[in-house]
Amino acid sequence: MSNFHDSIAGRLLRRVHWFEDSLLALMLLTMILLAVAQIFLRNIFDTGIVWGDPLIRVMVIWVALAGAMVAGRNNSHISIDIISPWVNFKTLKLLRSASTLFTAIVCGIMVYHSIDFILLEVEDGSMAFASIPIWVCELIIPIAFTVLTLRFIICFVLILTSSATSSDVSKE
Amino acid sequence: MYIAMGGAILLAALIGAPLFAVILAAAMLGFHAQEVPLSVITIELYRITDTPLLSALPLFTFTGYLLAEGNTSSRIVRLTSAFFGWMPSGLALVSLLTCAFFTAFTGASGVTIVAIGALLLPALTKAQYSERFSLGLVTTSGSLGLLLPPSLPLILYGIIAQQMGYGEEVQIKTLFLAGLMPAALMILMLALYSFWANRDNPAPLTPFSWGEAWDALKEARWEIPMPIFVLGGIYGGYFAVSEAAAATALYVLIMELFLYKEITTKELPGIMQKSMVVVGGILLILGVSLAFTNFLVDAEVPTQLFELIQTHIDDKLTFLILLNIILLLLGAILDIFSAIVIMVPLLLPVAIGYDIHPIHLGIIFLANMQIGYFTPPVGMNLFIASYRFNKPITELYRATLPYMFVLMAAVLVITFVPALTFFFINDE
Repeated sequence: MSNFHDSIAGRLLRRVHWFEDSLLALMLLTMILLAVAQIFLRNIFDTGIVWGDPLIRVMVIWVALAGAMVAGRNNSHISIDIISPWVNFKTLKLLRSASTLFTAIVCGIMVYHSIDFILLEVEDGSMAFASIPIWVCELIIPIAFTVLTLRFIICFVLILTSSATSSDVSKE
Repeated sequence: MYIAMGGAILLAALIGAPLFAVILAAAMLGFHAQEVPLSVITIELYRITDTPLLSALPLFTFTGYLLAEGNTSSRIVRLTSAFFGWMPSGLALVSLLTCAFFTAFTGASGVTIVAIGALLLPALTKAQYSERFSLGLVTTSGSLGLLLPPSLPLILYGIIAQQMGYGEEVQIKTLFLAGLMPAALMILMLALYSFWANRDNPAPLTPFSWGEAWDALKEARWEIPMPIFVLGGIYGGYFAVSEAAAATALYVLIMELFLYKEITTKELPGIMQKSMVVVGGILLILGVSLAFTNFLVDAEVPTQLFELIQTHIDDKLTFLILLNIILLLLGAILDIFSAIVIMVPLLLPVAIGYDIHPIHLGIIFLANMQIGYFTPPVGMNLFIASYRFNKPITELYRATLPYMFVLMAAVLVITFVPALTFFFINDE
C-alpha cells in the first residue's frame, strides 16, 4: 500500500480527494453564511442580496454531486443488498463485478449526453443569475459523472484482479 | 427488446448496483423508447435547483452530524432523566423521548442507536429492566421521531409533493404540524407498553431531585433553545424552512466549536465530508428520479396504475389497508429516502384518487417506513443495533417483535383517524 501512496497515481488521487473535500467544505460554509446573512438583511434592514438565493440553490446541486463523487470513492452509494448474505464469496465477486460494470456504463452514457447538452447551452448562452451563464452552473453534472464513471471502472478492474470484494477493495 | 432490458435493469438492482444507476438506466430506457433525446435527463437533474427548500437537506444533515459528534446525546439523556426519570417505567419513557428528539434532528440515519442507544442500554439494564426489553426498546426508538420537525424524511416528502404540483396542500410548515400528534401517539403507546411489560417487575423508583434537574438544565443550556429557535423562527415568520436549516447549522456550529468546545476546527472538514456523502447519495437519487418520474407521467403510468387498482379495489378502506401492507414491506427492503423518492410519485396520484389528503398520505407513508427500520429480515436498525451492541441479529428480531405490534396498532390508528394528523391544522 505504501508504494501506491508515493506513486504518481497515488499523489494524483490525493489531489482529487483534496479538491473534492475542499469543494464540499467551501460550498457548505458559504451556503450557511449566505442564508443567515439573508435572514438578517431581510428582517433588520428590509433588503437582501439579489443573487443570494439562486446561488444557494445552485450550490445545493454542486454539494450534492460533489458528495456523490466522494460516495463513489468508497462505494457507499445507496443500494438494495438482499443477495450478498446468501451467496458464497466467488458468486459475490461475480455479482459485484457485474453491478459495478453496469454502473460504469450507465454513468458513461450520462457523461456523453450531459456534455452534449452543455454544448447546446453554451451556444444558447442564457444567464443563470448576475452575469454567470447557466452552462457554468451545470458543469458539475458532466464533471461528477466523469469522476463516477472512472471510479466505477477502477473498482471493476480491482474486483476482477484482486481477491477481495468491492467493499474491501474500496478501502484502499 | 425493451422488456429484456428492463429485466436486466431490475436484475442489476437486485445484485446490488447503486440505486441511482438503476433509476438512471430505467429513465434512459424509457426516454429512448419514447424517442426523446437522452440529454433531457441532464435538464431533469438540474431541476434540483428549482426547489429553494432543498438546501434544508444538506444543512440539517450537517447539523445532525455535528450533534452526533459532540456530547449532546449524554446531556439530553441526563436532562430527560432528571425530569421524567421519577415516574414508573421512567427510564423507558426517557429513552423514548430522547430518541425521538435526537432522531428528529439527525434524520433517522441510524445515528440515534449509535449515539443514544449506547448510553441508554447499560442504564436500562442497570435499572433492572430485562435485557430483551431494553434491547428492543432502544432498537425501536432508533427510528422514533421521524414524524417530528425538522426531520429530513418529512422535508423530502414535502419537496416531492411540491415538485408534483401539490405545493398548495403540502407545505413543509403544515407537514411539520401534521406529524406532532401521530408521533405523540406512538410515544404514548410505547410508554404504555413499557409500563405493562414491566408490571411484574417494576424498576425501583428514583425520587425527583430539584438539584439534579437544575444541574441538567444548566448543562444543556445551549441545546434547549434549539427546538424553540427552529419552530419559533418558522412559525413566527422570521425565516423560511430552508433558512431555519442554515440558522440552526450556524447555531450548532458555534455551540460545538466555541461554547461546548467539543469539536475542533480540525475535525470539521471530516464531519462535513461524512455528512455530505450521505446528502450526495440521497440527492443524486432524487435527481435521477425526477427524470424517471417525468417519463412515468409522460407514459401515464400513475393514471394506469390507479385505473388498474380501481378495478380491483373500490373502497378507500381496503385501499388504505393494502397501502399499509405495501409500505411495510417496502420499508423493510428500501431505505427511507429511496422509498420516498421512488414511491411517492407513484402513490400520491393514486391516493388522491381515493380521496386521501396528500398530508395524510405523507404521515401514513413515514409511519410505516419507521416500522420498516426494524422489520426482519433486513431492517437497517436491526443491523446497526446488532453491530453496536454485539448481539446476534436473531436476538434482535425477537426483542423488537412486541414493539412492532404496538407500532403497527399506532399506524392503524393514524391511518383511520385522519383527525389526528389534522389536529393542529386549522383549514382542514
